[in-house]
Amino acid sequence: MLKVENLVTRFGSVVALDGISLSAQASKITTVIGANGAGKSTLLRTISGLEHPSSGSITWQGESILGRRPEDIVRMGIAHVPEGHAVIAELSVEENISMGSLFRRRKFKADVSVAMDEVYTLFPRLMERRKQLAGTLSGGERQMLAISRALVSRPKLLLLDEPSLGLAPLVVEQIIDSVNTLCRTTGLTVLLVEQNANTALSVADHGVLLALGKVVADCPAAELKADANLRAAYLGY
Amino acid sequence: MSTFLAALFSGTSRGAIFALVALGLVIVWRGAGIVNFAQMGQAMFSTYIASSLIANGNSYWIGFVVALLSGAVLGSLLDIFVMRPLSNKKKTELLSSESMRAAVPVIASLGILGALQALAGIIWAAEERGFPAPAKQEGFTVAGSVMPFTAFDVFVISSVAITLTLTTLFFKKTSVGLAMRATALNQEVAKLSGIRTNRTRTLSWAISGAASSLAGLLLTPSSNLSPSTLDLALLIGFTAAVVGGLDSPVGAVLGGFILGMVISFVTFYDTPEDVFLAILGVLLLVLIVRPRGILGSKDVRRV
Repeated sequence: MLKVENLVTRFGSVVALDGISLSAQASKITTVIGANGAGKSTLLRTISGLEHPSSGSITWQGESILGRRPEDIVRMGIAHVPEGHAVIAELSVEENISMGSLFRRRKFKADVSVAMDEVYTLFPRLMERRKQLAGTLSGGERQMLAISRALVSRPKLLLLDEPSLGLAPLVVEQIIDSVNTLCRTTGLTVLLVEQNANTALSVADHGVLLALGKVVADCPAAELKADANLRAAYLGY
Repeated sequence: MSTFLAALFSGTSRGAIFALVALGLVIVWRGAGIVNFAQMGQAMFSTYIASSLIANGNSYWIGFVVALLSGAVLGSLLDIFVMRPLSNKKKTELLSSESMRAAVPVIASLGILGALQALAGIIWAAEERGFPAPAKQEGFTVAGSVMPFTAFDVFVISSVAITLTLTTLFFKKTSVGLAMRATALNQEVAKLSGIRTNRTRTLSWAISGAASSLAGLLLTPSSNLSPSTLDLALLIGFTAAVVGGLDSPVGAVLGGFILGMVISFVTFYDTPEDVFLAILGVLLLVLIVRPRGILGSKDVRRV
């Protein structure tokens, strides 16, 4: 489905991704875990076209997406929910969601409102608050909103960057559960980046451990979860 | 009392035009993060185009429509051929500091202003020429006395009111308007939502170009047309935008009317020579009391 090979991304002289290879299998949750600064966010940002790699390849459904612009990559079915509950605070909840389907409004007119209804069913709280400004929402609601915005673009692959950041455990569980349900019922492919390794590994099928821009481990999530040595060495617990 | 009414009417009419100039500046600032000092140069250029058309025997309205369209086209061309390449990341990486990088397009806009003025001078000669108004510029006569309010003032105020209403509806109610607001507020999230931000940016240049061309058409009948006629309008419009809050369209309109009133009341009750002092006074007062402008949001860059 998604295949990343020998990806190198630099920021000036800093090498953020140092030859990363991994893949995300269709209709599975692949999680990328690692400490701060391991290159997790940079990996997602490079896939979605926000950063430009200096070498390597990214193949999506057999086609290279290297050098494409973010707005075109979304159109190919890859939706990125960046770190930090990325919503536009000055726009209403409804506007934030419909933003994600603006590019579909002509070709898939009928489906646009169906997709809206679906995310409102998934997160009923957003329905209640649809006229409110996104800036007035709680952290958890903002994360739901950011995910909804991505979902109405009808992605085949969802790139989720630290959805648990700054949220209470109960809210994290709720959000992760929703994503898990989506993956299992609709066949959505998920690439989940998390610092919170336990939460991520508990729902993921496959786990990739990053350290300083390199892949240290790439195996079924259950194995990674069970490997106390790896966790102690790279995650500190 | 009649002086007061005269000042009030003239302030409303002038204020409407400055509101338009300020709105044009705010639209490009929000859409592209650039203070476009070339704006009234663009307006001057399209007013000259209208002037030539009218001088060649076409009707005022043909000149009017063509000027608005050429304002939009010129704005788009400037974005596509000057501003877009300048904001190209790879080239600007050469500039180390963030503030220098932000300054480059602004300096470019000053260059464009100079170039447009020189070009207008070459094409149409630098001397002043008159520009017609579509309505009478003599005051209405009520019960034998001449009122300080003309048919042209009515035209000015109504065309500005229509423009403001249409732009507000466009931004609030249409999909393209939503895409433009999203791009202005958070470019990264907009891109990730599939919005073609290059296009929406160009569109904000086009709308701003058309709005300021309208301002040019409305200003020149009372001041004659020359390559530098509209410099003053830019200065006042920019002050209005800063007073109202550079990132707030409503603030721009408010700022425009405030300055229109200040200029008009100082002219009527004091002398026209003090107008600049008054404008500077208002600007200083706002910058000291509320640096982000009356309706500006907190995190806007200082100007």
